[in-house]
Parts: sequence; structure tokens; C-alpha cells
Amino acid sequence: MPDPSIAKPKTDITTGHTVHRYDEELAKLRSIILEMGERVVEQTQSAVVALVDRVECQAYRVLDREPLIDYLSLDADEEVFRVIARRQPTAIDLRIVLALSKIAGEVERAGDKAARIARQASELLALLDTNADVISDELNQALQALDDKACCMFERSIHAVATFDVKLALSIFEDEPSLYQASNAARQLLGKMNREGLIPRQVVCLLTAAHALERIGNHAATIAEQVIYVALGQDIRYRNREILIDTLRHYGY
Amino acid sequence: MSTTVEAMDKAMSVMTSAELASAQHSRETVGDFTAAEPRMVCRNVDVWYGNKQAIKNVSLDIGKNEVVSMIGPSGCGKSTFLRSLNRMNDTIVDCRVTGSIQLDGEEIYDKKLDPVPLRARVGMVFQKPNPFPKSIYENVAYGPRIHGLTNNKAELDELVEASLQKAGLWKEVKDRLDQPGTGLSGGQQQRLCIARTIAVSPEVILMDEPCSALDPIATAIVEELIDELRQNYSIAIVTHSMQQAARVSQRTAYFHLGDLIEVGETNHIFTNPQHKLTEDYITGRFG
Repeated sequence: MPDPSIAKPKTDITTGHTVHRYDEELAKLRSIILEMGERVVEQTQSAVVALVDRVECQAYRVLDREPLIDYLSLDADEEVFRVIARRQPTAIDLRIVLALSKIAGEVERAGDKAARIARQASELLALLDTNADVISDELNQALQALDDKACCMFERSIHAVATFDVKLALSIFEDEPSLYQASNAARQLLGKMNREGLIPRQVVCLLTAAHALERIGNHAATIAEQVIYVALGQDIRYRNREILIDTLRHYGY
Repeated sequence: MSTTVEAMDKAMSVMTSAELASAQHSRETVGDFTAAEPRMVCRNVDVWYGNKQAIKNVSLDIGKNEVVSMIGPSGCGKSTFLRSLNRMNDTIVDCRVTGSIQLDGEEIYDKKLDPVPLRARVGMVFQKPNPFPKSIYENVAYGPRIHGLTNNKAELDELVEASLQKAGLWKEVKDRLDQPGTGLSGGQQQRLCIARTIAVSPEVILMDEPCSALDPIATAIVEELIDELRQNYSIAIVTHSMQQAARVSQRTAYFHLGDLIEVGETNHIFTNPQHKLTEDYITGRFG
């Protein structure tokens, strides 16, 4: 019979407590955050559709739904307080609770960014009534590419939270340069558009939306840092990314 | 930048190294069992009750001015190990202790060593307060008197007062020293037992679940006292309360089925233990 102490179990690391209610409380906390994450991805995609495809109703839908994410973050906070007060978590449980609390904040702020994009889309649509064709397909594609990158990173970060998967978290760090590349490409095109007749207010709207998308990618990376903290017990914030990626790869992640 | 690399390397290597897997497999102790300034040095200690081995090859230091807590599930051997540190197990007929346990460089299981003065140097406080059926004064004065630590009544009075002061009990009992110790509350009785232990000037104090019979307020007072006593004594404490271990100790040792599984700084043990058995125990995943 294999020694149970040799390898970490492949089962969910939040489970296995003698008190099953504790498992349920941690699962509930995580499920709230996963639901928030899914909503943020949906919101971001809808907001970018509103921006790129000029679908006004999508922008309003995003703004209508934004408070739901805020309410979920309140639920997450309440659950965090409850677990700490009832269970006094230690070791990996303590890391899970602390990390999920921080992740809830990051996801909530990412939701704010989706709403910000929707607001810019709405404002832009109002401005475009008299100037409908100035935003080129090239710029639309650049914004779409930035959206794909940011949403993909964010979605993966949420999947990483579901399993506290170090490899998935590492892949998010590896994607950061391409996020910045996509963001720079969109900014450069906006500079050209400025010369080609966009009014300053329109440029500001599009720049704000592009910046919000980049920030959603940043939130994904911050969430990935917390996943590493839970899984490995190491606080890797403010560490050099390249060295971190090399070190994690070196140790087989 | 190199510091970051070294820190990461160290951290990652701890978690992924073959040495850790090997240690976990062979039940070698994970972590550093030595203390910077050791007062008691235990090496390869085995304790047997007849044919049953209760402690298996345990090495652990108790350092100067530190509190070492010993945690683990019932029957893991933590109390047995604690009791072997002042030869309390000598009173059990078929108990056998092998290996080396030294107090300030002196082997405590040396046949020439008298266990009675040893138990003054290594005092013990038990789970249930056990004051003598005598007055508060006599409870504290008894030890110094039989060990001949004072020359006259004035010196003894001074020592009793100092011991009760150190145990944080003087203000509560100074006007009723002639009343029975058994008339005090549970928490006061436990502090009286601590005063009794301190009175014979021990170097090390062993505490076997000293707060498990006390209410939360009395527990808090004793924990505060343990923190103060650390300035002058080395303390080893067995506790079933992991929160208490986390609160009072600087180092924590986790025992499992007679093995010392992991030992390390308390902060580290309670936030990022290296051995899965330790993690499972302190997070309530078995026990």
C-alpha cells in the first residue's frame, strides 16, 4: 500500500476535512468567485461587442448586470468572515481563504472594467451618429485581438482558481508580453486614427476601452499570483516575472 | 536580484525535492530540530512500553528562552516524549528509554544521576491542577524546603513571594497565604502549580496540556504567563489546542504514531508546513 504522505492528493485541495461542513464552506466561497469570474468574462465580451459591432443594447445590458458582480463580491466577503470566525483556518486553508478574498477583489475590479468599456461604447455610439465610418476595420480587429487576449487570460485565471493549477497560472504569466503587444498595437492604430479625423473625445473613448481591456489581463495575472500562493505557499508578488517563469519551469511546472 | 532567485530556488526546492519525498517516505523528521542555544538536547530517543515502541528515533532540542510546543493526535507519543525529559517515565515499570537526552551537556539517563534533583531542574506542570492539600504558602515553600534552597524563614518568605509574583498570582493571594491551595479557582490553582515549579529554580519547565481544564479567561492568563516565563526559562508544552500552540510557542514539533514528523518555526508550521501529515493534522483533515 503506498504511503499516503508521499504525494499530494489529486483530489480537490479544499476538501478532506474531518468536519465536512468546512469543505462545503470553502467550496461555497470558491463557487461564488467562479461565478463572478464567469460573469466578468461574459460582461467583457458583451462590452467589446457593443464597442466593435456598435450594438447599443449590449452596452446597456452590461451596465444593468454590473451590480450583480458587486453583490457577489459582498457574498464572498461575508463567506470569508464566516470561515475565519468559525474555523480559524491554518496552513493551506488559511492561504485559500486569504487568496480567495483577494481574488474576489480582483474579479470585482475586472467587472468594473467591463462596465467601463460598455460606458465608452455607449458614449462612442452617441458620438458616431454624425461620423459613422471613421473607425477602421483594422482598429476594430486590433481591439478584438486585445479583447481575445485579455478574456482568454482572465478565463484561464478563473480556471486556475477552480483547481489551484500552477501550470495554468504560469501560462498566464507567459501570456503577459503578448497582452502588452496587443495593447500597444491598438494604441498605435488609435494614434493614426487621430491623424485621420477622429475627434479627440472618440479617441479618448477608444483609448479608455483599450486600457480597460489591458487591465483585465493584469487582473488575470494578479489572480494567477494568488493561485501560486495557495498551491506553493510562496508570495510571488513584486517578483521579476522572467526569473519567476524560469524558476517555475525549472522545477517542472 | 540574485536574492530573489535564491529565495525562490530555496522555496521551490523545499517543495519539490526528492529529499522531501524521501524524508516523507522514511518518516525522517522534516525541518531543523536543533536550537541555536540548546538547553536540552535529545538525540535518537526511543521509548518502549514493554514490546510497544511509543517513541521512534526522535531528535529535538529545547533552546534557551524559547517555548517549544508539541502537537499531534492522541496516542502519538508527545506526552511520553515530554515525560521522558525529566524521567517521569521511570515510575512506569516496563518503560525503557534509549538514545541520548542531555541537560546542559549532562546525560539525564546516566545511572549515577539522581532523578529527584533532576526533576527540580526540569519542572513539570500537569493537565489537571494538583496543588498539595496544604496552604497556598506551603504549596510553594515545600519544594525549596526539601531541596534546601533557603537558609531561613525570611529567605523562604521572599522566595514564596517571588515565585507567586512570577506566576502572576501574588496580588490575588497575598492576603490569604494560609488558606488551602485547593480553595482557589481552577486557573489560580494551575498558576499556583506553576509557582510551585518555579520556586525550585528550574532551567526547563515541561507543561502537559496545562490549560485543558481551564476556561478561556484562565487559559489566556496562563498563556500570558508562559510568554513572561520564557524570558527566564526554557519551556516545552504539549497541547491539543493548535491555536494555543500557534499563540505561545516559537517552535512547533508535530508527532505522529511515535515519529517526530516535522519541526520548525511556529509561524512556518501553521502557514506553510512541508509534510502532508502535518498539514492534514493542523487543517483538520484527519485525527
